[in-house]
Amino acid sequence: MRCFQELKILFVIYRWHAVVSWTWDAHDETCGICRMAFDGCCPYYKLPGDDCPLIWGACNHAFHLHCIMKWVNSQIPQAHCPMCRRE
Amino acid sequence: MTADALSLVCNLGVLDSLSEASISEILESWNSFCLITETIVKGDDADLSSSYSKFQSYVSSLCKYGLRSLVEEHFLISLQDMLEKHVAPKFWKNFDAYSNVTDLEENDKDMHEDEVELLLCKALEEISLEKQYQEKYLLMLVKSLQLCQDSTSMEGHPSDVEKFFFSKYHLIISSVLMTTLPRQFPEVLHWYFKGRLEELSTIMAGNYEDSESQDRIGMELYGKGKHPTQFGNMDIDGSYDQKEILENKLVRNIGMVVHNLRSLGFTSMTEDAYASAIFLLLKAKVFDLAGDDYRSSVLESIKEWIQAVPLQFLHALLDYLGDSISYLSPSSMKSPLASSPSSCYPGASKPSEGIIRWQLRLEYFAYETLQDLRIAKLFEIIVDYPDSAPAIEDLKQCLEYTGQHSKLVDSFISALQYRLLTAGASTNDILHQYVSTIKALRTIDPAGVFLEAVGEPIREYLRGRKDTIKCIVTMLTDGTGGNNNGPGNSGDSLLEELNRDEENQETAGLDDDINIDDKQAWIDVQRWEPDPVEADPLKGSRYRRKVDVLGMIVGIIGSKDQLVNEYRVMLAEKLLNKTDYDIDTEIRTLELLKIHFGENSMQKCEIMLNDLIDSKRTNTNVKATINQLSQTGAESQEHEVSFDILDATIISSNFWPPIQDEVVNIPEPVDQLLSDYAKRYHEIKTPRKLLWKKNLGTVKLELEFEDRTLQFTVTPVHASIIMQFQDQTSWNSKNLAAAIGVPVDTLQRRISFWISKGIIAESSGEDSNDHVYTLVDSMADGGKTGINNEELVADDDAERSVASVEDQLRKEMTVYEKFIVGMLKNFGSMALDRIHNTLKMFCVSDPTYDKSLQQLQFFLSGLVAEEKLELRDGMYFLKK
Repeated sequence: MRCFQELKILFVIYRWHAVVSWTWDAHDETCGICRMAFDGCCPYYKLPGDDCPLIWGACNHAFHLHCIMKWVNSQIPQAHCPMCRRE
Repeated sequence: MTADALSLVCNLGVLDSLSEASISEILESWNSFCLITETIVKGDDADLSSSYSKFQSYVSSLCKYGLRSLVEEHFLISLQDMLEKHVAPKFWKNFDAYSNVTDLEENDKDMHEDEVELLLCKALEEISLEKQYQEKYLLMLVKSLQLCQDSTSMEGHPSDVEKFFFSKYHLIISSVLMTTLPRQFPEVLHWYFKGRLEELSTIMAGNYEDSESQDRIGMELYGKGKHPTQFGNMDIDGSYDQKEILENKLVRNIGMVVHNLRSLGFTSMTEDAYASAIFLLLKAKVFDLAGDDYRSSVLESIKEWIQAVPLQFLHALLDYLGDSISYLSPSSMKSPLASSPSSCYPGASKPSEGIIRWQLRLEYFAYETLQDLRIAKLFEIIVDYPDSAPAIEDLKQCLEYTGQHSKLVDSFISALQYRLLTAGASTNDILHQYVSTIKALRTIDPAGVFLEAVGEPIREYLRGRKDTIKCIVTMLTDGTGGNNNGPGNSGDSLLEELNRDEENQETAGLDDDINIDDKQAWIDVQRWEPDPVEADPLKGSRYRRKVDVLGMIVGIIGSKDQLVNEYRVMLAEKLLNKTDYDIDTEIRTLELLKIHFGENSMQKCEIMLNDLIDSKRTNTNVKATINQLSQTGAESQEHEVSFDILDATIISSNFWPPIQDEVVNIPEPVDQLLSDYAKRYHEIKTPRKLLWKKNLGTVKLELEFEDRTLQFTVTPVHASIIMQFQDQTSWNSKNLAAAIGVPVDTLQRRISFWISKGIIAESSGEDSNDHVYTLVDSMADGGKTGINNEELVADDDAERSVASVEDQLRKEMTVYEKFIVGMLKNFGSMALDRIHNTLKMFCVSDPTYDKSLQQLQFFLSGLVAEEKLELRDGMYFLKK
């Protein structure tokens, strides 16, 4: 607790409830596969955030985990980044 | 006279054969006959027996000459003469006193009632006596005629002759009385019956209260078949008390009067009189019973009363007159009448057709009276709907019987127009009335046909109100319905209620589904009823068109999306202002909404709630790790504000309604705290990071003065403002605004909260638009002493943290502003729907134009208000 003592008045803040929005620390705004916002979620899952995480490839392109997994699974044996064709 | 009479015979051959002696005999006999007839008819019957033999001899001698018809005619004419000259005027004279009855006042009538009764009885007795005498003379004639008939062996049975004479005589007497009928007589009769019936009714009422069991016995007797000897039984049965006897006497008196009246030929007039008296009494009874109380069902008691009073009366009356014989098969009689009740009303059906007919007639009248009464008060009934359910039930039964639904619709709509759909009524009240109307009319008419008609004006009106959606959402989700003084909303939200109904219906429906075998299907088929005639054939059959309260409400707005959107905004507002993470009620509401609107449309709301749940977890997580760090590291001392005081709601901003972002400099220590928090979050949840919405949230703070402590729950901006005064007790507005990082006008708006609380005083500075704010010394604030630990909440309606639906719309529509301006430049002027269609045609991608005509209109009217456009005669122009 911090008390502000000035003149005869004491200011006490005893509860500060703040509002904050989270965002993925990515350069891009939308997923290159599903074109949905990163802060949103991929078409397969309903809840954003922990349930629909992002994943960064070696090329530093980010995608929704579910989107890129689907892509990778369809690209057996060799999977390339859909954006820059790097592995 | 004799020559005339002779010429009537018209048999010239007979005339020729007459001798002088015969002629003189005829003349003599005739003259004597005329004389004796006169004396007899006048009633100077001192020597009736002696004159009878003379009379007989004259009659027979006249008959001998074939002058029988002449004799009959003369006798009847002299009787009629007597009636016309003496009897009728004497009878009517009794009623002369009431010749101006129509002018008399009501209370006068009351006073005269007893008199009327006595008078009528007396007069009737007198005239009946007179009639009896005359009938006796007639009998005399008949007998003497019969005597000579035997000798001349003329055709015809003697009793036929008698019958013929009496019917003729009755015709004469009634026609004489009818032609001399004074105007007031029907009125007098009406009074009489009214008075008698009221008397009977009070006796019955006493009876009814005193001994219900006895009444029930009477009722059973009725039910068993209305034994003609019932009243005799009653007298014999010792259990019937004095009242019963009194009642019988009364009925007998009335019966006597009616009998006398009928014998005088007043049959239909009498019927009219007592029918109208009964109906009048019944109407008064219905009004008396029904009154303004809607909390109890009155139909049964009215029916009971009909059984107890007027029917008993009629039964006794008909018994007395020996008329009820005609009614022998009640069951066969009832069914055709019951199916077409209107046939026995208001046609003057003969009471002689039996009690059943009377009963149906009376019941129909009662139904109709009650129905009219209830329909006239339907608005009030619906206002206190859940309590007035019995009245609704009554009305339903009445309407089933009378089938006058359209009357209800018309009257209710006009009541609505006058009383509800006015500028003075609040949207909430209208909505509540709407919901009650739906519920109430659903009981009356499960198919919702009439509801459709009644609901339309309300919906139409509500569409024109701006706050309709907001009110609907509040009503749906909030327990108090946003209307604390409104009736019938004690804590339970409409949605909960709807859900309960739904569950009930569903369980019933489930049963149906399970045992749908052939038998059940057959039962269903048999239950089918055609739609009411008023049904709109376009709307599908009644089974597909189940009345759905929520559907009707959504129907006001047009689409559920708008409703969901509004709910989202309200939910966001509510959630952002939460200091704890307690969202149980919201989750419950959301689940209920999901049932009705489908999961997909509620998904964003679900994510918002999920954010709250996540925030709670993350918040504890973050704070735990920070506290661990601070315990181990030495940096804890540097932190001047503990993390204990900080909580955060972490939102997925994509799924929330647009949030108003405002820059504000919050107190430096708290700012530090926030960035530490964000850092920790970033460490835990890499690669996610936090963007603070510093203007949002709630701050609880305490101001401790020397003599008192004040607690406030305020927004961060308010907190920042007051915190600035800890270092410096006086600020001018410019500097303060700069320190907090908000525009001056925002500051002025916000600081007014503290000014109104008496914490800060405002005085004008050197500059005209510069204000100086000073912290108020606690002692100077004398008016507010003694307030300790006061919880005050800053409730500024003007500042919402979430953009309202209108703001959102405006933001979305600004994209099209350029299009619209461009169009108007090219075309000069355009109508609303042309703009709408053009936008639809050209703005197909990115962003697709998906707004409704109303939304466009709203946006355009905004542009007009901003003086960018002009609206003339329905055409939009560019403002020059």
